[in-house]
Amino acid sequence: MSDDTILRVEGLMTQFKTDYGIVKAVDGVSFDLRRGETLGIVGESGSGKSVTNLSIMRLIQSPPGKTVGGKVIYDGRDLLSLPEEEVRLMRGKNISMIFQDPLTSLNPVLTISLQITEALQLHHHMGKREAKAKAVEMLKLIGIPDAERRANDYPHEFSGGMRQRVMVAIALSCNPDILIADEPTTALDVTIQAQILDLIKNLSSERHTSVIMITHDLGVVAGMCESICVMYAGKIVERASVDDLFYDPKHPYTRGLLDSIPRLDKAGAYGDERLYSIPGIPPSLVNLPEGCPFAPRCSKAKDICTKAYPPETKFDGERPRSVSCWLYAEEK
Amino acid sequence: MAGKKLKLNAIATTGIIIIAFYLVGIIVSFFWVPFDPVDMDTDHILEGPSFATGHIMGTDEFGRDVFSRIMAGSSISLVISLAGTALGGILGTLLGIWAGYLGGAWDHWMMRFADILFSFPSLLLSIFIMAILGEHTLNVVIAIAIVYIPQFARISRGAILQIKQEEFVRAARSNGATSHYILYKHLLPNIVVPLIVQVSLSLSVAILLESSLSFLGLGVQPPAPSWGNMLSGARKVMAIAPWTAVYPGLAIVFLVLGFNLLGDGLRDILDPRLRNVG
Repeated sequence: MSDDTILRVEGLMTQFKTDYGIVKAVDGVSFDLRRGETLGIVGESGSGKSVTNLSIMRLIQSPPGKTVGGKVIYDGRDLLSLPEEEVRLMRGKNISMIFQDPLTSLNPVLTISLQITEALQLHHHMGKREAKAKAVEMLKLIGIPDAERRANDYPHEFSGGMRQRVMVAIALSCNPDILIADEPTTALDVTIQAQILDLIKNLSSERHTSVIMITHDLGVVAGMCESICVMYAGKIVERASVDDLFYDPKHPYTRGLLDSIPRLDKAGAYGDERLYSIPGIPPSLVNLPEGCPFAPRCSKAKDICTKAYPPETKFDGERPRSVSCWLYAEEK
Repeated sequence: MAGKKLKLNAIATTGIIIIAFYLVGIIVSFFWVPFDPVDMDTDHILEGPSFATGHIMGTDEFGRDVFSRIMAGSSISLVISLAGTALGGILGTLLGIWAGYLGGAWDHWMMRFADILFSFPSLLLSIFIMAILGEHTLNVVIAIAIVYIPQFARISRGAILQIKQEEFVRAARSNGATSHYILYKHLLPNIVVPLIVQVSLSLSVAILLESSLSFLGLGVQPPAPSWGNMLSGARKVMAIAPWTAVYPGLAIVFLVLGFNLLGDGLRDILDPRLRNVG
């Protein structure tokens, strides 16, 4: 573990028991997060991005979910084997989280002032007057006009973008080492998205916070992140720096994703004006086929692809770079 | 919106005025009633309402002043219904929110127990409890509380189940909140609205329950006055002296109405999602 690695995830496995069988939502995910780095985790809905990060926070609801294997090493300790109370004390203080939907992630019957200082109050005891002053200060910091008056408002009196800014402020209020942003802009309209991303970027770089940005929007990743993990069916299929990934995607799935972005300057993969889409749908995670889960949708699939899962092939790059695909691995 | 003072609406205000009227009557009754409520006066049996005699609501079959008995009975009726609802409401809510929040075996057994209590009509259940505990004013409170525990448990459990999956619960958890904190600080304020509605309804039903038990001779024992046993006494003479039944009946009706109006009004006021709208 190099000195600037702040979080190391090793072979994380999280499964859900359902009526149809065991869903392997996260199946052996490993990555390192460096201090001050912004790491993007990209993938389709259901690829295990959110579950990965809820597992890191130990927020998977059990039952039906359970993290059955792996390690999450933060500050020299494995979060998965710590007692619940110690992990609770880290939540919000050392590792915090922003959720997707700002409309539901604030309690509708509590004032903004009360909620914006919640993490602070849970980790540092402070008086009512002090908390109120802090709330106003934080509202000013995130650019809410007329902060004194607005502090006593309820969430329904704030717009979606303002609420998400409040969520960002809550998450960063205790100066955490790691911020996990779970699709923070998905529920917002495009003009507001940029504001939220800027806010996250500015506040986290001021505080040297490492960010894990979960998203399915490659545009967000391009603007925010230094490195990227691409997830498919509970596994990381490719990891690279942003530049490497965008200019030289290795995995056929990554290429498919990049080709699916609408572009003005050149024709898509079909060679005409139609927008490319990857054929087929992601596999059910209950009965994953043997071999590479992407093989049935992959145009370059070989015989071996449906028989065994490809090993990780490492490449040179400005940041750790690897691909799990038989196109690059040697068959034994 | 600054200051966020709760503005009363017309419905709640009407309810409060009615209840305040009763409260004033109760306080006055501690110091003064027009006639001794238990003193029999055989010269004035079943006299109709008249200002000349001072019996403004008439007298009953023992010549006791009906108005004085209503005043003296009001404190007993109100205290019993308040205490019974409070006890049952608090216990029921606590059981219900933990059952809903924790789920699992605790939830399962609590709710089966509530189902058993629920399967009896409330009057039958309270008669049953009174038969076990014996006729005593305090036991009426306990009987009302036991009738209410499953009702409050079920309402609060249902409300908790509905909101505990909300994202803000997970968000609070990701900020380092304990279960205790989430339950009392985040979830409880969210279910206050259905609970308040239930309290107002329960208060009025409790008054009816107390009256019914006293009517059946299981609650407040004569000669101590209560609205229920006044009605019970009036049953025999109602045809010739309707005032003996009508006035205690009206006393019950208006207090029940007052609580219901207050409950309705409070529901509109307390829910911030309904506040400042329209």
